[in-house]
Amino acid sequence: MERREPTEHQSAQQQAQLFEKSLPKVNQLAFNMLLNELVPLSMAVENDIHDMAVKDSNAEDVTVEVLAGDVDKKVVLKDDDTEEEKEQAPKYKIGEQSHKLIQQIYNLDDEYRSNSVAERIQNVGFQIGSKLCELLVFSNNPTISFRDMDLLAVMKFVCRDVWKQVYGKQIDNLKTNHRGTFYLLDYDYKPIQTFALDLDPEQQEKELKLVEPFLEIPVGIIKGVLSSLGFPKDEVICVTSFVDRPDDRPRSLFPKGVSFHVQVNRR
Amino acid sequence: MSRSQSISSQSKSLKITGEEIWKNKVEKVNSELFNLTYGSIVSQLCIDYKRDFKKVNEQLFSMGYNIGIRLIEDFLARTALPRCDTMLRTSEVISKCAFKVFLNITPTVTNWSQSQDTFSLLIDENPLSDFVELPMDAVNQLWYSNILCGVLKGALEMVQLDCDVWFISDILRGDPQTELRIKLNKVLKDEIPIGED
Repeated sequence: MERREPTEHQSAQQQAQLFEKSLPKVNQLAFNMLLNELVPLSMAVENDIHDMAVKDSNAEDVTVEVLAGDVDKKVVLKDDDTEEEKEQAPKYKIGEQSHKLIQQIYNLDDEYRSNSVAERIQNVGFQIGSKLCELLVFSNNPTISFRDMDLLAVMKFVCRDVWKQVYGKQIDNLKTNHRGTFYLLDYDYKPIQTFALDLDPEQQEKELKLVEPFLEIPVGIIKGVLSSLGFPKDEVICVTSFVDRPDDRPRSLFPKGVSFHVQVNRR
Repeated sequence: MSRSQSISSQSKSLKITGEEIWKNKVEKVNSELFNLTYGSIVSQLCIDYKRDFKKVNEQLFSMGYNIGIRLIEDFLARTALPRCDTMLRTSEVISKCAFKVFLNITPTVTNWSQSQDTFSLLIDENPLSDFVELPMDAVNQLWYSNILCGVLKGALEMVQLDCDVWFISDILRGDPQTELRIKLNKVLKDEIPIGED
């Protein structure tokens, strides 16, 4: 059999793969836990801010002074880093446990506050997305080309490269009407695979609702990537829903797939 | 002599265990992605708390604690290590196994207190804080990687070790090294169900 020389493109690709492999790595579990912990964190922050706002409204006059006093405080703080203090651990209050916080998100009946939790999660996702995009731009991968990228190419980039980088797999299915509407289907969305659902359909409905906040992260990521490739936040609508997994797919741990509905409205 | 030999051989085998697990049993993800994800979380916290960095430290610690109490299960399942009988052993397990398996680094253990209940971890390559530069107003107040303290606190508590964990220096603050201190308060008692002896 005749052995052909690899084409220039192939060897460039190989090189990029080798480079990718040589980059420093961390445990995926650590990364996943960090990502997922973002959800209860957002609720904890929301609680904190809400408490502070309540306190502030009780003592409105004081707030102004505190703001003005901030500058002085910073200067004072500089010098109290003495040796003695180094042997003393600072006392951190440990907040509520994650599962309780997630329950709280579910029970929030104030729409404004539950939106602000969702927005907080999305914002972090957005930042991850836009920075990740830069990371991929400089990855020297020859299969990624950012020249003359139309919306379809951008979405393909999200499905293939972004998902691969973050979740170690590609999106399973991409559907579009070629007029700015896309459906991205991931039947085994990684971060929620360890979540268990009740078999009882009524309970299951409730539990799916509990899982929903976790989908705000990828929504943010998608928006972040799109925005750094020229489709600003306010032109993009992205909503998620759970979908049934096709029967011919191998069983996965989490019984539902996830669908991201992305709509881009160009002005 | 033989005792110190057995300790050194034990610590060698811990190192091998850690590397083995890292190499063969761990799914990996790009460390830069991890890095920028953590960065995004911290920066969002700074915005939410209007740059009140004490609050940010506390929230990062609390978040870490919540991760730690669950992370320890994976760690014990993966390594199948028995309970540590001394803090010396605990320190070795943390630096050679735990940090290796989760973050692929091996911090140095030093600065033991006389009573052998407090030690330091020197973290020279911190995957959380690569490429990070603190703004002026945060330099003296923010412990950027405070999540690590929370994780250690939570994980150690789950193995019956009540510890204080805190940073005493950080390269990001202009210090020569990043040093994390762990102090054992007490070994928690195993609870025995009522009526059983």
